[in-house]
Amino acid sequence: MFHNSSQRKYWIFKSEDEVEQMRFKANQTFRHKIFGSGKPGLSESIFLERHEEDVLFRHYERRLLDFCNAFKPVMPKSVVSTAIMFFRRFYLNNSIMEYHPRIIMLTCAYLACKVDEFNVSSSQFVGNLQHETPAGQERVLDQILEYELLLIQQLNFHLVVHSPYRPLEGLLIDLKTRYPTLDNPESLRKSADDFLTQAAMTDAGLLFPPSQIALTAILNSASRASLNMESYLTECLGLKEDKEALSKMYDSMRRMKTLVKKYEVPKPEEVNIYKQKLERIHAEVASSSSKRKRGYEEDGHVAKQPRLAEEDWTDEDLI
Amino acid sequence: MDDQGCPRCKTTKYRNPSLKLMVNVCGHTLCENCVDMLFVRGSGNCVQCDTPLRKSNFRVQLFEDPTVDKEVEIRKKVLKIYNKRDFDFPSLREYNDYLEQVEDIVYNLTHNIDVENTKLKMEQYQRENRDIIQRNKAKLTREQEELEELLLLEQQGNEQRRLEVLQEEQRQLQAKRKNKQALLDDLEQSQLPATILLAQHKVRAAQLETQIEQQKQSVKPTSLFSTGIHMHQTVSLQPVPKIEEALYHYKPLHVLTYGPPVPELEQLGRLGYLNHVRAAAPQDTAGGYMTALACYRAIQDAFSGLFSLKG
Repeated sequence: MFHNSSQRKYWIFKSEDEVEQMRFKANQTFRHKIFGSGKPGLSESIFLERHEEDVLFRHYERRLLDFCNAFKPVMPKSVVSTAIMFFRRFYLNNSIMEYHPRIIMLTCAYLACKVDEFNVSSSQFVGNLQHETPAGQERVLDQILEYELLLIQQLNFHLVVHSPYRPLEGLLIDLKTRYPTLDNPESLRKSADDFLTQAAMTDAGLLFPPSQIALTAILNSASRASLNMESYLTECLGLKEDKEALSKMYDSMRRMKTLVKKYEVPKPEEVNIYKQKLERIHAEVASSSSKRKRGYEEDGHVAKQPRLAEEDWTDEDLI
Repeated sequence: MDDQGCPRCKTTKYRNPSLKLMVNVCGHTLCENCVDMLFVRGSGNCVQCDTPLRKSNFRVQLFEDPTVDKEVEIRKKVLKIYNKRDFDFPSLREYNDYLEQVEDIVYNLTHNIDVENTKLKMEQYQRENRDIIQRNKAKLTREQEELEELLLLEQQGNEQRRLEVLQEEQRQLQAKRKNKQALLDDLEQSQLPATILLAQHKVRAAQLETQIEQQKQSVKPTSLFSTGIHMHQTVSLQPVPKIEEALYHYKPLHVLTYGPPVPELEQLGRLGYLNHVRAAAPQDTAGGYMTALACYRAIQDAFSGLFSLKG
């Protein structure tokens, strides 16, 4: 149940600003760390700015989605949304510059498969990297396993993610049962599903409970079909007397819609520029701290630096 | 199963039921006759292993396997030196290690493994721990004495009780004899007819019998149980103090779902929810699955946290 989950307690934030604050802090922390290590020949310009990070983040998130959608056997939607949620949660407190999203996204997907009881073996999992040689797949698998513990730790061991898909089903059932005014609730499903897919790529999952997202998806879908469903909220959900809750609900819905509307696909040329920057940072960091390559195995903690020296595959190979 | 026998004269228990087998420190058997014959001068060598032996060290074999006898003998000797006890050690672990060491020594000596070294080790230990050994020996004898004292006390008690019973019986016999004598006297001197006297005597005898019986019964209750616990001591059976505690009161669990109320699982069918979900196939229901379960969960999830959570 969502209402007593770790998701409600720890992973629902008050506002968009708060989320942005956290990401900004992660970015700053990384800069301080690198400067603190006192490496010569580093200038501010080498680092990614927040908006640049964001572009890259969205880029890799799309890659993650593509990877999940192309996955054989077909990955259930809840697994995909869990993976994306892991990815988002991870980069709330960590900078892209510190952990390369290329490997983190795969680790997220791998962990999501386990958490959501979608049973694939590890070799089957990396078998989906079709442009990789078997040896390359093996290497990726090693990295995934290396980062898995770090990921779990960074997720604060809160592994259960409540996705809006089941609430959507529940709401549809409820609509069919208690809201005969609506002729064909099934007709809403298609565009509601689309809305959820779009919402998954935004911060909606970090700001709103899954049931609210699902309800917004349905209402959005209804309004597109120019149906008015306000009476469902007032009559069936019992918001008639509670004007405050109703207005709050509308407010969250509006915010959610803006989030979805605001989403823009990262431009390829921008992505390419930032990616080069990212690679440079990682090369810089990795070369200076090659002695810590083996990460948590040595200092009993977690892997801190991606092993760039051994990474001779690029994300073009992924899908 | 082969019969036990003397390895020298080949006599077996079967042929000579009174055969007495003896064992010496080396753990080899000989029958009593052979011992007498071979060790006329008080000492000699073992027939089987040539160990120099003394006649006085021969013991009657108690176990079927002579090595067991040998081990018992050795153990007795070793324990005389290794007589530390558990409270001589700071931890159980060390005590156990010590016991292990003792076992090793006994085993080695019994099975003739590394005898020289083991003996050296024992001697060294004896030299190093002379004080403790002496002290423990004294302690052991003291404890032994206490135990014997206790036994003696018990024996005395038994004896006393036996004497009392004996005295009682004699008193009764005397009473009966007196009764008989009285009858004879009466018959001799009284003017009453013999039948009446006899009847009187019978009554008196019966009275006496019942008196004795009563006495016996009244003597019975002793103040001791056979376990040594005193009777009437009220072995604390009742005084378990009553613990006053507040009883647990069940409070129905109230979960804040931050959403509209969810219909109960049982009511889903009545409210018509189940018409809109896929019914469970018969093979699904084998594990206890019901159509309502999935539906219930979906609806719970749909309503959970639907209204704004914070503030």
